[in-house]
Amino acid sequence: MKSIRKHAAIFVAVLALVGVLFVVVPNLPAQNSNGVGSASFNRGSANFNPPPCDYNDTFYQDNGLDPTQLVGRFGTDRQTGPPATGNQVNWVADTNCGINDPNRRNFRILATTGGFPDDGSGSPTEFISILAFVANQTAFETTYSRTVGAINGGLDGDQQNAGSTISIANSQNPRSIAMQDIVSNFEGYAALKQRLPNGTFAMNPCAPDMVSPLAPATPCFPVNTVNAVFTPNLRQDWRFATNRNAMDGSDNNCVGTDPAVCPDGISDTPFGYFCDDLLGMWILTYFWYTVDPANPGPVCGPILAALDQKNGVSLDGTPIILTADELNNQLEANGCGAEGQEAVDGSDGGAVWLVCPAIPDPRNGAIARDAFLDQVVLPNGAPQNPALTQNFLSLQQSGNFPNNASVSKPQSQKPRSQTALGRGSGGVMK
Amino acid sequence: MIKMPSTKGRKVSRRDFLELAAVTASIGPFFLFPRRAFASQQTLKIAKWSHFVPEFDVWFESAAKNWGNEHDTKVVVDKLPLETIRATATAEVQVGNGHDVFIFPWPPAEYYEHAIDHGDVYQRVASKYGAIPQLAHRSTFNPKNRKYFAFADFWAPSPLHFFQDYWAEIGMPLGPVHYGSLRSGGRKLRDKFDIPCGLAFTPTLEGNVTLHTILYAFRAWILDGNGDLLFNKNVFASLALKYIQALYQDSGTPDQLSWGPAGNVEAMLARKTSSTTNAISLLRAAEKQDPRVATKIWLQPPLLGSNGMGVTALPHVTNCSVVWSFSQNQNAARQFLADMIDSSRTGYEKSLGCNFPVYPKTVPDLVVRLSKDPQADPSYKYSELKDALHWTPNLGVPGFATPAFMEVFNTSLVPRMVQSVLRGERSPEDAAATAAVEIQRIVDKWK
Repeated sequence: MKSIRKHAAIFVAVLALVGVLFVVVPNLPAQNSNGVGSASFNRGSANFNPPPCDYNDTFYQDNGLDPTQLVGRFGTDRQTGPPATGNQVNWVADTNCGINDPNRRNFRILATTGGFPDDGSGSPTEFISILAFVANQTAFETTYSRTVGAINGGLDGDQQNAGSTISIANSQNPRSIAMQDIVSNFEGYAALKQRLPNGTFAMNPCAPDMVSPLAPATPCFPVNTVNAVFTPNLRQDWRFATNRNAMDGSDNNCVGTDPAVCPDGISDTPFGYFCDDLLGMWILTYFWYTVDPANPGPVCGPILAALDQKNGVSLDGTPIILTADELNNQLEANGCGAEGQEAVDGSDGGAVWLVCPAIPDPRNGAIARDAFLDQVVLPNGAPQNPALTQNFLSLQQSGNFPNNASVSKPQSQKPRSQTALGRGSGGVMK
Repeated sequence: MIKMPSTKGRKVSRRDFLELAAVTASIGPFFLFPRRAFASQQTLKIAKWSHFVPEFDVWFESAAKNWGNEHDTKVVVDKLPLETIRATATAEVQVGNGHDVFIFPWPPAEYYEHAIDHGDVYQRVASKYGAIPQLAHRSTFNPKNRKYFAFADFWAPSPLHFFQDYWAEIGMPLGPVHYGSLRSGGRKLRDKFDIPCGLAFTPTLEGNVTLHTILYAFRAWILDGNGDLLFNKNVFASLALKYIQALYQDSGTPDQLSWGPAGNVEAMLARKTSSTTNAISLLRAAEKQDPRVATKIWLQPPLLGSNGMGVTALPHVTNCSVVWSFSQNQNAARQFLADMIDSSRTGYEKSLGCNFPVYPKTVPDLVVRLSKDPQADPSYKYSELKDALHWTPNLGVPGFATPAFMEVFNTSLVPRMVQSVLRGERSPEDAAATAAVEIQRIVDKWK
């Protein structure tokens, strides 16, 4: 009899639990589709995948970066202006940030920058928040110490715990890794406009040590402020290296010495972007054309034409570059393009690193209702890459990629011959 | 305390007795009559390159002799200066006589026709320490005949060494990070303090590794994955040479062209240069000679390469042992090589951490050791090397260490090419084109 009662109690408890689930679950799609009364796509589920916010100072320091040396930090600077336009703001105060994640400060980021993963797919599925710029190596802390978890007299004075120390010494964190070393493994690729206001096409950046010998050093396009990488100054959307391997190799990146895993003999970065690079930092690699698209020459001409056909054209009238293969093996290998980084002492004046964490999973609420897409647009205001817009809007409105697919391929873009941005159109500036 | 099983009251059956008698009869004579009773004691002759850390060689000789005592073998170890390794090995294969084991600091692919297949040595080790690791496989496997021409047991990473105090003076306290900043920072240091950059550009091991690393990091690959010529088939070769030229002009010293072996190390120890790439034997030497200098030398992973190459540097050393096919003691030699893996941990310690084990299981706490080094100040200085395996591909990458690639390496073709540019004898384009012709000749020869 006792046993029956006991089992009946368990049965009732389970039934009640299932009932609660039935009550909750049907509401989710309704919230998803309506996004009722909140900036967030789904406030009910915001806790598990909240939209991005700036990190708090302590978290920056814990991860080896001096927050006072951040340039253009969201939450402090740049509330208006690029990438925001018109009435848009790049960030808003939001007290939920610190509640959802105690490592965040209460400024939620609305400017959501889109880009391409450098995995060869050409799919515009990356969404990042450019929280701040780092223009000098001195921003990386060399010494820092903070004790966490210390308890002195908890539980009526009985509990004592000295806590643990988060320390940085000689620039190395408690795992003996320098933040700078981690970050150097992750490259974010910026494509600055090379066409100057007077219509001249500059084939090198204005930074002496970045100049490619493939082209004249002057005229040059400016890279001497962090503003140089603001969206209005870009000819195409961002690209991001895809060596952001999972530590366990589950994403098929090469993380070991097993020939079956890494048959080319090259291991990808030992660091995991989402587990080591907790600030989501990237070293900024500028990439540019070293030939004038109006006169690319016999070697580069066919290469540019083929890329035109495949990817469409940038605001400069040069082909859009979507993959590492296109940049490294087609353009750079043939002397049609180059890449480089700014001097780490800040002497070039622009951004050397970015604090721009990628949104780990842009689905299910990470793209808030009031967020806006930061992407390169054509002079007529239309997006250069409509697929990016499509992905963003779908994620924002339904919490998923279009057609519930995990990714959406970009729409085929018109080659320069079919657009107003034909080769030599010159002076096409937004 | 371990309790032994009791045998009290156990009876010995007739079957047990007969089995015991048979076993005793079969192995007894080997206990009673040592091998030397049947034949004269064999001799195992080993030639090895002189290690940068002398303590390692002292230990190695002792360990080898101990092994000999346990295997009734007289072991003779001949240490050879690095510069004579190739000539000595070539002389031995020409006459078909010499040492039984020849230990190189690089993959001796050129001698594959005179080497046994070392696959069975790897197999012997596999039961204890696992399958052959990638770096060893790609450094000692000949994809043409599908045999292992050598056995690799350790390697030495090649990080950037830089004087932190110098670089802090020009606003780069954490080192140059990428090749652009090496040039711009190096120029400032030379202009301000007359301290040049100290990369080795000489036809030495240091120069070879440094320059092959720069070429690789600029995607100026010598051969492709199939072993065919790739050098100068795109613009990367001439661009890499132009970078080296600019680096030298902006921040270098003529000494970089004339240093002898370890010249870059000596310059750093004398604080005459601001940075170099080398095995950590440099820092170890500093710790021993002048701890104050050592504290100022910091390590950094290799510089971020260009054209999508990421952070990468070739190994300073890939320790590869060859058992010649004309060796009279092949079995003993094989066993010696397999057994030496058991001593990898001691080898790591005796080399003062220079010798990274090919088999990670032999030094399972490598990362902990790197973060708490007893000689280093601070003790975690060497933790910059903890991911060295990830940024160190094999010589010959993106392919194997083929005979053609290793002939390019050993003939110092790359340092000679670079020097012709730096001395103003050739333009980068001309030097790259000339080198490509020479490389093609070498590739054709080995086909």
